[in-house]
Amino acid sequence: MEDIDTMFSDLLVEIDLITQSLGQETVPPASLSSTHEETNYFMNYTDLNDSLYELEDTDLDALMADLVADLNATEIKLAADMQGLKQPSPPPPDLPPPPQGLSPRPTSSPVSPASPAISTSSNVSTPTSSTTSPLPPPQTTKPTREEIEAQMKADKIKLALEKLKEAKVKKLVVKVLMNDGSAKTLMVDERQSVREVLDNLFEKTHCDCNVDWSLCETNPELQLERTFEDHENLVEPLLAWTRDSENKVLFQERGEKYEVFKNPQNFYLWKKDKKSLKDMKDQDKELLIQENFCGTSIIVPDLEGVMHLKDDGKKSWKPKLFQLRASGIYYVPKGKTKSSRDLVCFVQFDNVNVYYGKDFKGKYKAPTDCCFFLKHPQIQKESQYIKYLCCDDENAMNLWVTGIRIAKYGKSLYENYKTAERKAAVGSAWTNCSTPSSSNPSTPSPTIRAKSPSQANGHVPTLPPGPVTKDFGNVPAPPPPPPPPPMANFLPPPPPEPVRPSPPPLAPKSSSKPALPQRHLPTNFPPPPPAMRGLPPPPLGPPMDDASEAPPDFLPPPPRSTGFGSLPPPPPMNSLPPPPPPMSMDLPPPPPDPGCLPPPPPMFTGAGAPPPPPPPPPPASPRAPVRPSGSVRKVPPAPPKRNTPSLQGGAGGGGDFMSELMLAMNKKR
Amino acid sequence: MSAWDLLVTVEDLGSDAPSVTLSVASDLHVGGVILKLVEKTRSSVFQTVMGVCRMLNIRHPEEHSFLRPVEEKKKKKDKDSAEEIYDLTEVPLSSASRPCLYNGMPAHFADSPQMEAIYKMLSVTQPPPAPEVITKQFRPASVVDKAHINGRWLDSSRCLMQQGIQENDRVWLRFKYFASYDIDPKYDVVRLTQLYEQARWAILLEDIDCTEEEMMLFGALQYHISKVSESEPQALSSSAAMDDLESALQCLEVKMEGESSSASEMLENMTAPELNDYLKIFRPKRLTLKGYKQYWFKFQDTSISYFKSKEESIGEPIQQINLKGCEVAPDVNVTAQKFLIRLLIPAPEGMNEVYLRCENEQQYAQWMAGCRLASKGKSLADSSFQSEIQSIRSFLAMQKTSSGSHSNANANDESINPHSLVSPRYHKKYKAKQLTPRILDAYQNVAQLSLTDAVMRFLQIWQALPDFGLSYVVVRFKGSRKDEVLGIAPNRLIRIDLAVGEVVKTWRYNNMKQWNVNWDIRQVAIEFEGNINIAFACVTADCKIVHEFIGGYIFMSTRSRSKSDTLNEELFHKLTGGHEALSIPHKDGLLLVQTAGHQNQSQQA
Repeated sequence: MEDIDTMFSDLLVEIDLITQSLGQETVPPASLSSTHEETNYFMNYTDLNDSLYELEDTDLDALMADLVADLNATEIKLAADMQGLKQPSPPPPDLPPPPQGLSPRPTSSPVSPASPAISTSSNVSTPTSSTTSPLPPPQTTKPTREEIEAQMKADKIKLALEKLKEAKVKKLVVKVLMNDGSAKTLMVDERQSVREVLDNLFEKTHCDCNVDWSLCETNPELQLERTFEDHENLVEPLLAWTRDSENKVLFQERGEKYEVFKNPQNFYLWKKDKKSLKDMKDQDKELLIQENFCGTSIIVPDLEGVMHLKDDGKKSWKPKLFQLRASGIYYVPKGKTKSSRDLVCFVQFDNVNVYYGKDFKGKYKAPTDCCFFLKHPQIQKESQYIKYLCCDDENAMNLWVTGIRIAKYGKSLYENYKTAERKAAVGSAWTNCSTPSSSNPSTPSPTIRAKSPSQANGHVPTLPPGPVTKDFGNVPAPPPPPPPPPMANFLPPPPPEPVRPSPPPLAPKSSSKPALPQRHLPTNFPPPPPAMRGLPPPPLGPPMDDASEAPPDFLPPPPRSTGFGSLPPPPPMNSLPPPPPPMSMDLPPPPPDPGCLPPPPPMFTGAGAPPPPPPPPPPASPRAPVRPSGSVRKVPPAPPKRNTPSLQGGAGGGGDFMSELMLAMNKKR
Repeated sequence: MSAWDLLVTVEDLGSDAPSVTLSVASDLHVGGVILKLVEKTRSSVFQTVMGVCRMLNIRHPEEHSFLRPVEEKKKKKDKDSAEEIYDLTEVPLSSASRPCLYNGMPAHFADSPQMEAIYKMLSVTQPPPAPEVITKQFRPASVVDKAHINGRWLDSSRCLMQQGIQENDRVWLRFKYFASYDIDPKYDVVRLTQLYEQARWAILLEDIDCTEEEMMLFGALQYHISKVSESEPQALSSSAAMDDLESALQCLEVKMEGESSSASEMLENMTAPELNDYLKIFRPKRLTLKGYKQYWFKFQDTSISYFKSKEESIGEPIQQINLKGCEVAPDVNVTAQKFLIRLLIPAPEGMNEVYLRCENEQQYAQWMAGCRLASKGKSLADSSFQSEIQSIRSFLAMQKTSSGSHSNANANDESINPHSLVSPRYHKKYKAKQLTPRILDAYQNVAQLSLTDAVMRFLQIWQALPDFGLSYVVVRFKGSRKDEVLGIAPNRLIRIDLAVGEVVKTWRYNNMKQWNVNWDIRQVAIEFEGNINIAFACVTADCKIVHEFIGGYIFMSTRSRSKSDTLNEELFHKLTGGHEALSIPHKDGLLLVQTAGHQNQSQQA
C-alpha cells in the first residue's frame, strides 16, 4: 500500500515538475485538485484516466495515460500471446512488440493465471515446476548455463504474470477526511483491507493509533454513517457509490466500534442493573469475552425489545417486538408467543449491512433520532428495500447495531479487535521500531494473493479495450519531452519551491492549508523534528536517518528494481510489498543490471529504472533513499522513459518487460 | 478345572439390589473372590464412562454421562425394528492414554472387519431417519417435559449396580455438559459424529427450539452431510486425519501435473466458460403487461446479458446485469414444469426484481448454478460450478419423488424425503414439495462445505441457539408456592416462571460464592456475590443431579487453565460427589462446597 501510495505521489510530484518545467507552475495541480473535489473523492482506474483527460493540460493527460498504458500493454500482449498460441485471429495492429516468438515457449506462463495457486506458492517451488515444463532437458544435476537461463526465463514469466495480475487490480484514489477538516488522498487497491488503510493513515497522521480509529463512510442522501470493519476491503464498498454521490470517507475515532470488547457486560448482561455493570471487574469482562467469542461458536447478545419499524413508503413508524438471533432479526407477530417457532424472520444478514441513520426525526418523522437501518451495500438512494428501525434511546441503538455486527461478522470482529489492540500497542512504542510499518504490507499479501485471481478476472471487462489501445498509443508520444526536465530537476538538490507545489495534486483541499507540512511529518514517525524536513530532499545525503526512516514507504521500489535487473528476480515480484531488508540490496542491482540481462534493449533498462528525481513530495521523505539508487542507475541509460517512473516500476515496467522477455526468447532460439 | 457362577448378595448395595454374579474357578481363593467382587462393584459411573469413552475413542469423557433410557411407548412395535447390537466386551484395550491409530482408527478397532464396522457406525453420521421414525419418538412438549428427562441421569459417584442397573440393561451414553472443550476434528472423529447425532436429534425432536429459518438451515446441513458422507464414507476420518495444508498441497500437485499437459489445452481452460441459451425474462416491477419475453441470453463471468436473438449476440446486448451480490431464489414446480429463477439485483436505487424462466430441468440447473455462484462473486470457471449443478439436480429429484407416493420415498436412495430433515411440526405445516425449495434455498449457502466443516457448522448453529446448553429441572424455590423451572447452563443458572414462560432471573457462576446441599431436607442453597442467596428443592430430579450439574460445569470451566491432557478426576469428584466423594459430613448434616471465584476449593464450613 505504501508503495502504491508512494508511487502515486511520485507521479503527482512528477506531474508537478513537468508542468513547472513547461512554465505552467502551479496551475495544473490546482486544476487537478479542483476536479478531484468536484467530481468525487475516488475514481476507478479508468475513471481516473478519463477525468484527467478532461483536464486541459495535455501533459497531465499523457502522464496519466502512461500510468494506465503500461498495465494495459501487458494485458494486450498477453492476450496477443494467447491468440498467437491459438493462432486464429491476427493480433491487434497497435501492438508495438511483436508477439510471435512466444508461441511454443509460454507453456508455463499461462499456467499461472489459470491456476492461481501457483503464484501463491513459494518462489522455490514455482521455478522448478516451470523449468520442467518449458525447457527440453532440465534434469541435469548441476545448474548449467541453459538451466540458469531457463530459470531466469521462468522467473521472468512469473514476474510478467504477477504484473499482469497487478494490472488487473482495481485501484481507487480515495480522499479521506480528517477530523480537523483537512483531507488526505490515498491510492487504495482492491486487495487492501480497511486495516491496512488505517495503518497507512497512522503513518501519515499523528494519531495515537488507538483501537477507536476507524474509517467511516457517510452518505448525505441517505443520511447514513457506517464504520467499515477492519477486515473488509475498502475498494468494494466504495465502488458501489454512484458517480454523483457526495459520500465521504472519514478517518475518525469511533468509540462504539470496539466497545463490546472493552465493556462486554453492557452488551451481554444488559438486563442487569447499570451499577453492577459499571463495577464489573476486568477478570469478569475477560470471562465474558471468552464465553462469547472464544468458543466453538460466537454467541450473539440476546437482545429483545420494542423498536419502531418504518412502514414501506409511508412516514409512519409502527412498534414491534424484535429479537436478535445469530440467524437474523425476528419479530413476534401479533397475538403470538415469543417462542422461537412463532417468530417471523424480519431480516437475515447475508446481504445487508447495518448503518446508523442521522437525524431521522427530521427526515422521516422518526419517534427518536436513535435510528439504524439495514440495506444492501449497493443501494445508495432511498428505496423500499431499506429497512429502517428506530430505538428508544442511544444505548438501545448501540446494542442492536453491535449485536447485528456480531451476528454478521462473528469471529472476524474479535480478531479485528485483537489486531487493532496490537497496532495500538505498537503505535505507542512507535519511535523505536520501524518494523510494524514494513511488516504490515507484507503480512496481508498472501491473503490478497489468494483472492486476487478471481477478482482480477472479474475486472477484466471493466477495462474497456477501446481506451486501452488509445492510451497505449498515447504513451510513446509524450514521453520524449518530459524526461529532460526531471533530470534537470533531479540533479540539483531540490529547492523548497517544488516541495510546496507538489502537495496540491495530492490533496486538493489541503493545498492552501498548513496541512502540507503535516503530511510531510506523518510519514516520519511521531517525533518528527522540523529538521527532518530538510533531510529528505538530498537523496543520498543522510544515510543514517534515512535508513531508520526508510522502511515504510521506501521499501517497495528497491526490490522491484532488483527484480528487473539482477539475476535472481523471484522475490520482488512475487510479494507485492517486498521484504524489509532491501535497503542494502537496493544499491547492488544497478551494476548487475546490464551484465545479467542477455539481451538488454535500452528500452528495458529504461523501463526498469525507477522514477526520475522529483524532489521529495509530501510522503516522500522515506523514499529519499530510493532516488539515489535510481539516479545511479539512471545515469547509464540515456533515455529514461517517462511512463515507467510514474507507475512505480512494477506495473510500469510491464509492457517493456514483456517485449524484452520475448526478445530474449527469440534470441535463445 | 471347573468354573461356575456364584451369586453374592452385597448388603451395602441396598436391600433391593440384585445379587452380584461372579464367575469363579476352583483355584480361586476367598480373597480372590472378594477382590473380584470389589472390582465389580466399586467403579463409579464416572469411571465407567471414562472406560467406555476410551474404548470408543472419545476424548473428554467428563462431558458425558449415562442416562436411563426413556421407556418405549409400546413394546409391540419391536418386531419390525430388530436393532443391531455390537458386542464390545471382548475388545482388548491398550493402556496408552491416547490410542495409537491404525488405518485412521484406534488400533483395537482395526482387528477385524466386524470391529471396523463398529467403528464406522460410531464415526460416520447416520443417514436421515424416515419421517415416521421421527414422529414415533417421544418429543418433549414443554419445558416441564424436558425437565423430566434430566431426572434420568445416573449418579456419577456411585456404581451402576447401586443405581439398579443390571447386566444387559440399557443406558444411554450422552453428552451431558454442553461445554465441548477443545474440539479438534483431527482427533475427535467419533466425538464429533456423536455430538452431531445428539444435536440433530435435539433439533428433530424439538428438544431445543429454533425458528423456521434455522430449521431449514439445519435441514439443508443434514442433507448435505448425508450426501457427502454417502459419496465418501471415510471422508470425516480421512480428511480429518489429513492436515488441511497437506491435502491442499496434494490437490495442487495433481492439478499442476494435470494442467501442464499441453499449452493449448491450458488456454482452453483459461478462456472462461459461458452459458448461451434462449430464456424468458420477466420484470415484475415494470408495469408492462407483456409477461415473459424470450431473448438470447449469455452468461459470462458474473454477468448475464441478453440479445434479441442468437444472431445478434455479437453486438451490444440489450442489457447486461451483474449478479454479484444479488439474491437468488428458486421457484420450481417439477410436475408443472415450472423452472423459475427469481433474482433480486442490487442497484443504487434499490433492488431490481428479475425472473428468468427456463425450459427444462437441465437448463435450469445450469443457469441456477451460474446465478448462485455469481451472486457470491464467483464465475462459471469456479471449481464448484459442476457440483452446484449436481446438487440442484438432486434437489429437483427430491421434489419429484416426494411429490409422488411418499410412502416409499426412501426406497430410492438418490433422494431424501425432506420430511426426514425437519421436525414433525413442519411435516404438518408443509408438504414435502413445499419444503424442498425452502431447504434448497438454505442449502445454497452450505453446499460447498466439506463434511467436517458442515458438521462443525451444524454444531455452531446449534450452539448459537438462545436456549442451547440449558438443562432444565423443575424446582420449588424457598418461599415460593409454585413450581418453577431452573435452567442450568454452562455459565449460569436461570429461573423460569412457568406461568409467564420467561426467564425472570439469571445468576452467573462466576459470581457464586458457595453452594450447599442439605441432604436431609434435600435442598440446594447457593450464595452469590452481593449477598444474594437462593435456595430451592428439586421436584423432577434428585438434588444430587442438580448438585452434580453445577459442580460439573464449574469443573468444566477449570479445564482451560490446566492445559494438561490428564483429567483431574479427583477435582471432578470433589465438585460433583456430594456426600459420597467428598464425605464431609457437617455437624448438621450439611455439606458445603465453597467456590471462590473460580478457585475451586472444597472446604468444610
